Amino acid sequence: MILSLRQVKKYFPVRSGIFLQTTGWIRALEEIDLDIEEDKTIGVVGESGCGKTTLGKVVARILRPTSGKVEFLGEDVTGRVSKDVERKFRRNIQMVFQDPFNSLDPRMTIGEILSEPLEAHRVFSSKKEQDNYVKELLVKVGLYPEYLSRYPHEFSGGQRQRIAIARAIALTPKIVVCDEPTSALDVSVQNQIINLLQQIKTEYKISYLFISHNLDVVYHMSDKLFVMYLGNVVESGESREVFENPLHPYTRALMNSTPSWDPNQKRLQTVKLLGEPPNPINPPKGCPFSTRCTIRIERCDKEKPQLVGDEKHKVACILSEV
Amino acid sequence: MSILAVRNLKTYFKTPEGSVKAVDDISFDLKEKEILALVGESGCGKTVTVLTILGLVRGAQVYGSIKYKDYELTKFSETEYTRIRGRKISMIFQEPLSAFDPLYTIGQQMVEVVCAHLDCDKESAKNICIEMLKEVQIPFPEKRFDEYPHEMSGGMLQRVMIAMALVTKPDIIIADEPTTALDVTIQAQVLNLFKQLQEIYKTSIIFITHDFGVVAEVADRVHVMYAGKIVEKATVSALFANPLHPYTKSLLKSRIKKEFKNRTLPYIPGNVPLATDFPSGCRFHPRCDRALKICSQKEPPEICLNHSAVSCWLYVRGDEK
Repeated sequence: MILSLRQVKKYFPVRSGIFLQTTGWIRALEEIDLDIEEDKTIGVVGESGCGKTTLGKVVARILRPTSGKVEFLGEDVTGRVSKDVERKFRRNIQMVFQDPFNSLDPRMTIGEILSEPLEAHRVFSSKKEQDNYVKELLVKVGLYPEYLSRYPHEFSGGQRQRIAIARAIALTPKIVVCDEPTSALDVSVQNQIINLLQQIKTEYKISYLFISHNLDVVYHMSDKLFVMYLGNVVESGESREVFENPLHPYTRALMNSTPSWDPNQKRLQTVKLLGEPPNPINPPKGCPFSTRCTIRIERCDKEKPQLVGDEKHKVACILSEV
Repeated sequence: MSILAVRNLKTYFKTPEGSVKAVDDISFDLKEKEILALVGESGCGKTVTVLTILGLVRGAQVYGSIKYKDYELTKFSETEYTRIRGRKISMIFQEPLSAFDPLYTIGQQMVEVVCAHLDCDKESAKNICIEMLKEVQIPFPEKRFDEYPHEMSGGMLQRVMIAMALVTKPDIIIADEPTTALDVTIQAQVLNLFKQLQEIYKTSIIFITHDFGVVAEVADRVHVMYAGKIVEKATVSALFANPLHPYTKSLLKSRIKKEFKNRTLPYIPGNVPLATDFPSGCRFHPRCDRALKICSQKEPPEICLNHSAVSCWLYVRGDEK
């Protein structure tokens, strides 16, 4: 186990009035349990506002949880930690962001961008060694060493995402959090990046936390799958099992809403899902999905279902308990 | 019967780096009551094509002809255009939040459209708008009418935009990636609504998207664009059953399927070319796995087959090359 989250909650305050008093909370994450094992990819799927990015940021320690516990290699890293632990943590957990147009500093050359983490962690003693390593990195992600002196604006979206990946793996981390790494890219380039991420995983034995709204991409990448809705994990388990045998009505709706790519078998007309996700400031009392669920019963409005099942497949739905 | 005929349309922009041929010699027809999908990746010219049709490209050089019914739109003056834009041809934009003015309620913005194009006073305009909001399935339309864009979700706003486009009962609606910014479950709702309304209003629609899944769900015919050119024209069933152009083929192949798990995904090598620097000959040839010698030298002609037309040298008989 590299990293584990136990009962992690993250609430953001809503402030209003002249004195900016806290008038409510946005419940971005509700009691999440997550274990990241070595060389395993965990996929997180859900729609916008479901808390998947917040989860990624909590894992990368960009955000501290409101309550719950985060453990990294046996050490508690929930709150403030010593400098040594912080250093070790940062070295081992890196992030690839969604939009490669905003995640690279426009005033730094590619060489500077890739050297920065190496210098911050004083990996190499000589400049020459470091330069060689940076060149190797560029080749590894499918770019040319000549690009080192260029600036980000000279590259296309796909190439920039390659640079962002090179920066993330520069310190040979154990975990890389990928937050929608392909959704800003063109269709023809998207698969190149997914292949690259897979290839790097085999070579470096990296565990990914792979976040996306695209169920097909997440399934392709992951060993385990988490389906999130309104801050809650509604279904989780081995990705093959979840994908082939979805139990939660939301997971099923999500799968059916993906267009079919076949004009003879149009799928969207069969989608019965109504309405939109409720506001996370004021979520439904019972099941978070109860406002849109087509098969809900009375109990769903009152009781919040717990995530139950074995390691292979868990689901949070009252109907599956019966 | 075609309601819009585009012939040899070219839209060039002058930039310090040289002339950008955003749209380069394309021809197509929009038939009555059909949904025509324009598919392509970013920078392929699909948005510029429709902006040119609407006369919204300032400072660009436009050549060729755009015929809407009996009117030649390329010869239109700005005042003539305002009589057609929004009334006969209306547009739905990609980003619902940035397409509305944040300082006015959606009601005010809708009434503005109605008063500008239909002959009526504000009170009856309001009634027309509320009727329209009902039709796009907005709950509590009377209440929503007085709300500001920021108070509504993306899916809701996109419905309002559809209502606004339909309120003048136009002949043509141009929808520029109307569901790209939405979540899949909301996308499904909006697309279904779109189809329903199209059947009621019998509008012709140009539907721009980059998602072949959406194309399969909504379109009747498809035109695939690459680097400012239309490379393939086909009916939806023909395109998915039998794609012809190597670009279309690879795009359809690159869909992530279940069987691909733990395997390398098929992909198209290289990047989409920049508009300032298109390759010679066929613009897809540097990325094409079946490129011939002639592909880099001469632009391919358009070859018409049963249900499709394709611009590719592979379909030209030997003696004509």
